[in-house]
Amino acid sequence: MDELILNLKREIIEVLNLEEVKPEEIEDDAPLFGEGLGLDSIDALELIVLMEKNYGIKLSDPAQGRELFKSIRVMATYIRDNRKK
Amino acid sequence: MTREVYIRAARQISVQLPLSEGWMDAPLYPEGPYARAVDPDYRHYFAPNVARRLGKLLKRALLTSRLVMEESGVSRPGAIITGTGLGCIENTGIFLDALAREGEGLLQPTHFMQSTHNTISSLVAIDARCHGYNSTYAHKGASFECALLDAFLQLREGRVETALVGAHDEMTPDYFVLLKRAGYLGHAGGFSGETAASMMLADRPGDGALCRLRGVELLYRPGAGGLRRALDSLSREAGVGLDEVDAVMVGANGHPPNDRVYGEACPLLFPGKPLLRYKHLFGESYTAPALGAYAAATCLHRQRLPAHLFAGEGGVERRGVRHLLLYNHFENKTHSLVLLSACGG
Amino acid sequence: MQEEIFVTGAGVISAIGLGRQATLAALREGRDGIAPVRYLKTSRVEFPVGEVKFSNEEMCRLLGVPEAGVTTRTSLMGMIAAREALEQARLPGDGGERVALISGTTVGGMDKSEQYYLDFLENDSRNEYISAHDCGACTEMIADYFGLFSMVETISTACSSAANAIMTGALLLRAGRADVVVAGGSECITKFHLNGFNTLMILDREPCRPFDAGRAGLNLGEGAAYLVLESGASARRRGVVPLCRLSGYANASDAFHQTASSPGGDGAYLSMTGALATAGLAPGEIGYINAHGTGTVNNDLSEGLAIQRVFGERVPPVSSTKAFTGHATSAAGGVEAVISILALRHGFIPPNLRFSTPMPELSFAPAAGGSAAPRHVLSNSFGFGGNDTSLIFSKTD
Repeated sequence: MDELILNLKREIIEVLNLEEVKPEEIEDDAPLFGEGLGLDSIDALELIVLMEKNYGIKLSDPAQGRELFKSIRVMATYIRDNRKK
Repeated sequence: MTREVYIRAARQISVQLPLSEGWMDAPLYPEGPYARAVDPDYRHYFAPNVARRLGKLLKRALLTSRLVMEESGVSRPGAIITGTGLGCIENTGIFLDALAREGEGLLQPTHFMQSTHNTISSLVAIDARCHGYNSTYAHKGASFECALLDAFLQLREGRVETALVGAHDEMTPDYFVLLKRAGYLGHAGGFSGETAASMMLADRPGDGALCRLRGVELLYRPGAGGLRRALDSLSREAGVGLDEVDAVMVGANGHPPNDRVYGEACPLLFPGKPLLRYKHLFGESYTAPALGAYAAATCLHRQRLPAHLFAGEGGVERRGVRHLLLYNHFENKTHSLVLLSACGG
Repeated sequence: MQEEIFVTGAGVISAIGLGRQATLAALREGRDGIAPVRYLKTSRVEFPVGEVKFSNEEMCRLLGVPEAGVTTRTSLMGMIAAREALEQARLPGDGGERVALISGTTVGGMDKSEQYYLDFLENDSRNEYISAHDCGACTEMIADYFGLFSMVETISTACSSAANAIMTGALLLRAGRADVVVAGGSECITKFHLNGFNTLMILDREPCRPFDAGRAGLNLGEGAAYLVLESGASARRRGVVPLCRLSGYANASDAFHQTASSPGGDGAYLSMTGALATAGLAPGEIGYINAHGTGTVNNDLSEGLAIQRVFGERVPPVSSTKAFTGHATSAAGGVEAVISILALRHGFIPPNLRFSTPMPELSFAPAAGGSAAPRHVLSNSFGFGGNDTSLIFSKTD
């Protein structure tokens, strides 16, 4: 799980171009949207693509994304339980 | 009652030193057929969260826009108008490449969202929270002149008091290959450049306007007669005789089919007038004429024409400049005339 | 007092047909043009679209253009629509008018670029399509088909492009820069923007339901439409009878987000009130609103709230004809300008198809359609980045 969390942080930094952010600066339980990392709706769409590309998880409803992208830990847990690759 | 139009501030990022008029006395001459713009360090200007999603073109456009707004003291222009030949071609290229190589599977929304041409004008409006008129012209080598004409007419008729006009084109390595194949870029004698030029136009000079914009004419396949009529009407409306024009700046780029059009038209239209050039400094690009206008505005403001601007051999620096006429064409289809005058001239 | 601008010609091609007559018949009979993909070569067959029901080859034959020549779907549709508009306005005339073409497109020659992109990069086999890619190329192909225009410009503001072209046309006429302006837009469906809209998750897998509580996105459409604009003096001199007036127009920026509209529809509010102001009309004088109404959750709510802000408790009949045509993106403002003019001239309100459940946030429901006699029609077109334009067409008598 720790390795998955670290990888996920690296992937998010890359796909969202968060050049100035280091993986250890993202807290596992901090919110990704609004405060915390300050991501927005377009980032959510990018994360949906990331979920499918890297883990084979297809999300068809943006609202579902909003639930899953609450924090890195919530995302990682969902990936662990549902990943197809 | 028509109003005067002034260029209050202008800024550029190009193959010359960015945000600087260094090209006047110490021009850079890039080697080879393809040169990228010299980018300033954007970390000085943008917070990481603002910059992270912006490609180079958008960073250049946003920075030059912010600076001319700041310098002219106009925080919310009445109009924001952009000319761009190709729009955000880097993102377009990434999306097209992924589509061609990987199919319609997993494409990224940011690349699409920032591929449309009006991303530029929108970004500037969102950044400035500006609810005014917002438009984008994308017409090959006349994109800037279309934007300039729109701003000019709206200012003249008092529809707006200020207008931010931008001209922005980037050139990626891939797209350079394409446009070389198409015969537009990559010729000996000139080079491909990039354009980011923003200028603030206003119906009042404010403190220290660069120059006045007296007229803009835009023509399609005009022939010699059409050009003559446009020149006459420009001269008549501005009240500036051709004999008063100090020099004519043209878009010669070293490529014979392009330069031949100027070679044939100029002796007929502007007999005896000194010819100036700008693409030897800034390179060829769809919106390069904006850099020509910027250079001419700078010369009028500083009241001198550096020797290297003069076409042909033996150019000598000139001081005291009142009126400069810009003449550009693209593929001998679109032709444009722009007349600039010194303030008080 | 500003000089009045008259519309003396209109031409259209969209998913519901070629020409004004076919368009009128489809609108009156409630026949939409949304169907499974047939002409575009895409694997995204799950999304219904509003395609123009002609192949490129068929359009070449209709136009007498060589099928082997360099054309794009956008330019072919543009030629067909512009030809109808010019014929109605009896152009070219014999008076040596200065005629300008202002065309809106964003996709331009992307249909060919996406087909040949790897060739563009790797070999010389498709070089002729490289310079056909950009927006201006498309306008010049249309211009050169007619050989009539002394000025051409291309506007690219995404889904408001054609409406902005019409607005620029009015500016040029009023400034005396042209005697006659042909203004509108053209855009074909491409894999590029079908997939692009898909990444934004705003495409409906069913035929779209604008202003319905259950709406789930838009259907892409395609088409082209142009208006011929000129002054009253010019129309009289040329002996043509105006169809209507272009009485009001305004563009405003929502200045909110690159792809989403602001919650209160600030840009839409400003463009509608701006258009009313240029027309010198009170909100109560508008007899029909042809809404932007894409069918996305975000647009219809934002636009609906903006309409309520402008019209208060007396909202005139509103419908989105994108349920007929799909969203023809850059051409939409042109197609809907022609539809607005048809509604004005033939005295009817086009129905808002597939509406069943009112949106709880709005005080009004979209129009069911039928006979009416609007004297002034307002048409909204909103583009990405919050580029919002409203046009008003008015009866001449």
